[in-house]
Amino acid sequence: MESAEDWLVESLRLYQDFHAFNLSGATQVLEWMGDKGILVAGYESLKKNEILHLILPLRLSVKENQGLFPERDFKVRHGGFSDRSVFALKHVPDTRLLVTSGLPGCYLQVWQVAEDTDVIKAVSTIDVHETEGSLWSKVAIFSSAAPGVLHGVRLSSLKVVDLESQKTTYTSGVGDSELLSSLQVLDADTFAFCCTSGRLGLVDTRQKGLQGAQEGACSPVISLAPAVKVAHRKAPGFDGMVQVYDVTSWDGMQGRVDPLFTHRGHIFLDDNGADTAPLVTTHTWHPDKPRTLLSAASDASLHVWDWVDLRASC
Amino acid sequence: MPEIRVTPLGAAEAGSTSHPPSCSGAGQDVGRSCILVSIGGKNVMLDCGMHMGFSDDRRFPDFSYITRNGRLTDFLDCVIISHFHLDHCGALPYFSEMVGYDGPIYMTQPTQAICPILLEDYRKIAVDKKGEANFFTSQMIKDCMKKVVAVHLHQTVQVDDELEIKAYYAGHVLGAAMFQIKVGSESVVYTGDYNMTPDRHLGAAWIDKCRPNLLITESTYATTIRDSKRCRERDFLKKVHETVERGGKVLIPVFALGRAQELCILLETFWERMDLKAPIYFSTGLTEKANHYYKLFIPWTNQKIRKTFVQRNMFEFKHIKAFDRAFADSPGPMVVFATPGMLHAGQSLQIFRKWAGSERNMVIMPGYCVQGTVGHKILSGQRKLEMEGRQVLEVKMQVEYMSFSAHADAKGIMQLVGQAEPENVLLVHGEAKKMEFLKQKIEQEFRVSCYMPANGETVTLSTSPSIPVGISLGLLKREMAQGLLPDAKKPRLLHGTLIMKDSNFRLVSSEQALKELGLSEHQLRFTCRVHLHDTRKEQETALRVYSHLKSVLKDHCVQHLPDGSVTVESILIQAAAHSEDPSTKVLLVSWTYQDEELGSYLTSLLKKGLPQAS
Repeated sequence: MESAEDWLVESLRLYQDFHAFNLSGATQVLEWMGDKGILVAGYESLKKNEILHLILPLRLSVKENQGLFPERDFKVRHGGFSDRSVFALKHVPDTRLLVTSGLPGCYLQVWQVAEDTDVIKAVSTIDVHETEGSLWSKVAIFSSAAPGVLHGVRLSSLKVVDLESQKTTYTSGVGDSELLSSLQVLDADTFAFCCTSGRLGLVDTRQKGLQGAQEGACSPVISLAPAVKVAHRKAPGFDGMVQVYDVTSWDGMQGRVDPLFTHRGHIFLDDNGADTAPLVTTHTWHPDKPRTLLSAASDASLHVWDWVDLRASC
Repeated sequence: MPEIRVTPLGAAEAGSTSHPPSCSGAGQDVGRSCILVSIGGKNVMLDCGMHMGFSDDRRFPDFSYITRNGRLTDFLDCVIISHFHLDHCGALPYFSEMVGYDGPIYMTQPTQAICPILLEDYRKIAVDKKGEANFFTSQMIKDCMKKVVAVHLHQTVQVDDELEIKAYYAGHVLGAAMFQIKVGSESVVYTGDYNMTPDRHLGAAWIDKCRPNLLITESTYATTIRDSKRCRERDFLKKVHETVERGGKVLIPVFALGRAQELCILLETFWERMDLKAPIYFSTGLTEKANHYYKLFIPWTNQKIRKTFVQRNMFEFKHIKAFDRAFADSPGPMVVFATPGMLHAGQSLQIFRKWAGSERNMVIMPGYCVQGTVGHKILSGQRKLEMEGRQVLEVKMQVEYMSFSAHADAKGIMQLVGQAEPENVLLVHGEAKKMEFLKQKIEQEFRVSCYMPANGETVTLSTSPSIPVGISLGLLKREMAQGLLPDAKKPRLLHGTLIMKDSNFRLVSSEQALKELGLSEHQLRFTCRVHLHDTRKEQETALRVYSHLKSVLKDHCVQHLPDGSVTVESILIQAAAHSEDPSTKVLLVSWTYQDEELGSYLTSLLKKGLPQAS
C-alpha cells in the first residue's frame, strides 16, 4: 500500500520507537500488571474471547544498551478464555488476581493468573444486582491488604465489595439512576466517578452521598501521563487517532487547542482494506517512559509508540 | 493398534544462551532440532541440528536413543533436512561420518547447495578459532553431502516401496521446506522453521488440506506476538538513516544469501523515495555468490524477485554499487554490505577494524553469531577486543543487533494448522508449562489433541488407518437379496473370504474364492445320537418328533418326509431302533457346519425328551 509506505517514511521523523502488533482479537482494555506486562481481552459476542498477559518486548523494558536486544515481540506469558465479552479489566495490585466486567450477564468475574503455568483461570464471581441486560458494570480497585472492588452501572448501584469475603463495605445510598461511564480510585478512601452525561463527582467512602458534582466536566477518554503533565485524548470525530495535548500550558481560556502530537498509525497501517478505518478502542501510558504510549484499535492492532516532541527540536 | 511414535532428540532450551542475560537476549535463536519419527514400521530422522550455545558434546543430539536399537543404517530409513540453518543441519556430518549413518539424506536443492558452505564456515570457526578437537573435517562434509538426494517442491519421492515423502514451501530462508512423510494411509507433516507472512524476497509457507495424522510444528515463537515486518524495517532504516545523516558509516556483515537480499531491496526502495545521496556498497564476493545462487533457485523466491531478476541482474540496483576496499578509507557517510556474516574473518572484519574507533559509525548485525567470533563478542557487550598480535581494538562505534528471522508466531501456527487440518498436533521447541494456553487454544479451535514432549520423551499416537477393501458384486447382491436395507447404525455381519493379492484387498464369496484359488470345497457334517425311551415303532417315534418340533419351532420349516425322516431346515433327524434294546429309540441328528447353531440347539431340545402322546 503506497500510503502505508509514505507514512512509514514520515514515521522516521515522528517517532523514536514504533512497534505494531496484531492480536488475535481486538481489545478494549489495556491494563498494566507490574511495569513490564500488560493485559488485553477480547470483546466479541458469540465466541470465546482471550484474556492475555503480555510481556513487553525486551527492547522496551531495558534501560541501557537497547541496541543489543533484538527482540521486538510481545511474549504471551499467560492466557485464558472468557465466554463473555470483556469491556473492563482491572488487576488487583500485589496479587495475581484480575477482575473483569462484561456481557452477557451483569456479574463480575474474578480470575487467577497461575504461577507455575501460563493459564489464567476463572475462580469466582461477584454479583451485581442489575436487571438491565445490555448494561455492564464499571470497575475500579481499592488496593490494600484487603482489596475492595468498586463497581456500579448507575450512581444508585455504586458499591464496594471486599474481594475475599464478598461483603459489601460501601453503598452510595443515592436514588440517582444516572448511568456511569467510568470510575477511578484516588486513594484508600476516595474515588471519582464520571457519568455518561459528563457529570463528574468525587466520593469519600467514609461519608454518605456524592460530593463535588460538576456538570459537563469529564470525558471518559482522557488519561494523564504519570510523570509528565500531558493529557491525552481521543476526540470524537477523529476516532482512528490518538492525540496528545500539553495541559501545563492551558490557562483555562483556550478556545481551540492544538494537539502536540497525533498518532495516525492505526489508520495507515490498516492491512484489512476494509472501507471503514479502524477505531481506537483504548490507550495507556508506559509507567516509566515519559513519551511512550500503547494504543489498541478495533482491527485488533496494538501499537507501542514513542513520539518525538517536535517543539524540542525547533 | 498401529501407532505413530515421535521422540525429539534435541530441543531448544528457551532462553539458554551463551550471552550473559544482562547484555543481550539472543536466547530464542539458539537450539538444535532432531526428531525421530516411527510410522508404519519405518523410522525417519527429521533434521540433525547442532546446538551452538555449547562447545562440548551437549551440542549434538542424543543419538544413543537410536544406536541402542542396533545398526543405524538398518534402523533408520532416511534422514530429512528442512533447511540450511546450523541448528537444523549442523550435526549432519558428525552423524553420517563419525557416528556412522550410510542411508539416504533428503533435502531441497538450495539446501544441498548452501549447507556445505555453512558447515565449512562453522568448522573453520570451531577448529581454527576455538581450537576444538573431535570435530568433523572438510572431507567429512564432502562425504556427507554425497549421500544427499535432492527433492523438488510438491514432488512425491519414493524412499522405498512403502515410504514416500513430499516437500512443501516453508518461506523462512531460501530452500526451506516442510515435509510430509507417508506410509500407506498414515502420514506425518514436519514443518521445520516456517513463516506465514511473505517478506521482500521470500513467499509465505503453504500446505494443502492433506489431513495428516500428525502435524509436528516448531513452536519456539509460539508464545509470542510478533512485531510487524514494517516496524522492523523501519527500525533498520531509522538507524541507517540517522548514522549517515550525521556523517557516519554503517557496516552490515551478511552471509551471501537471504538477509542481504532483503535489506538491499529495502534500502534501495527507501533511498529512492527519500532521495538520499550517501553511497551504498556491496562487496564483490557477495555479488558473485549471490547472483549465482539466485539464478539457480529462482523458483524459491517470491514473484517480485522473479520479475526483477528476469529483467536484470540481482544486484544491479540504482543506488547500490560494487565495493572496492579502498572505499573503506574514504571520508563521509556510506553503507556497506560485506561478508562474512559473523565478523570472524575476511572483508567484513577488515572494514570493522577500520571503523570501530569512531562513535559516529555503526555496525548492524542481522543475525545470530557463533561463540568465538568477533560478532558474538560485540553482541555480548564487549567494547575492548583482543585481535591478532595482542592488539587491543576499542569499539566506539554503535552496535545494533537486529533480528530479521522470519518465524511463525502463535497466529501463524494457528493458520498452518487450519490449512493442513491434522488429526493431532505436536509442538517442539517449547516448554510445556509455558504453552498450556496455546495447547488449549489449538485443542478447542480445531478439536484435535495437542502434544508437547520434552527431550527424549516419546509421544505415541494410535491411528486407525482405513484400509480400502473391494467387495465383489456377487457378494453384495446376495446380501441385498436378503431384503434388509443397509443401515449405518446397525452393523451387519457379512460372510466372505478376504483375498490379499498385489497390495490389494478383496472380499468375495467363498465359492468365488475357491474357484479363484482352484480349491475344492469340503463339506463338514456333524451327527449326534439322542437316546429316547419309546416302546413304539420307529415311524411313530419319528411322527412324535415331527409333531413336537413343529409346535416348538414355529419360525423354522419343519417337514416330515415320506421315508419317515424329519427335517428342520436342512437338518436331518432319523429315528432308528436301538440294536440291543427295542424299547430305546435312537435319533440320528445330522447337520452341516453351516447349521451348527441350529443343530446344537435341536440336539439339546431333543435331549430333554418328547411330550407324552395323548
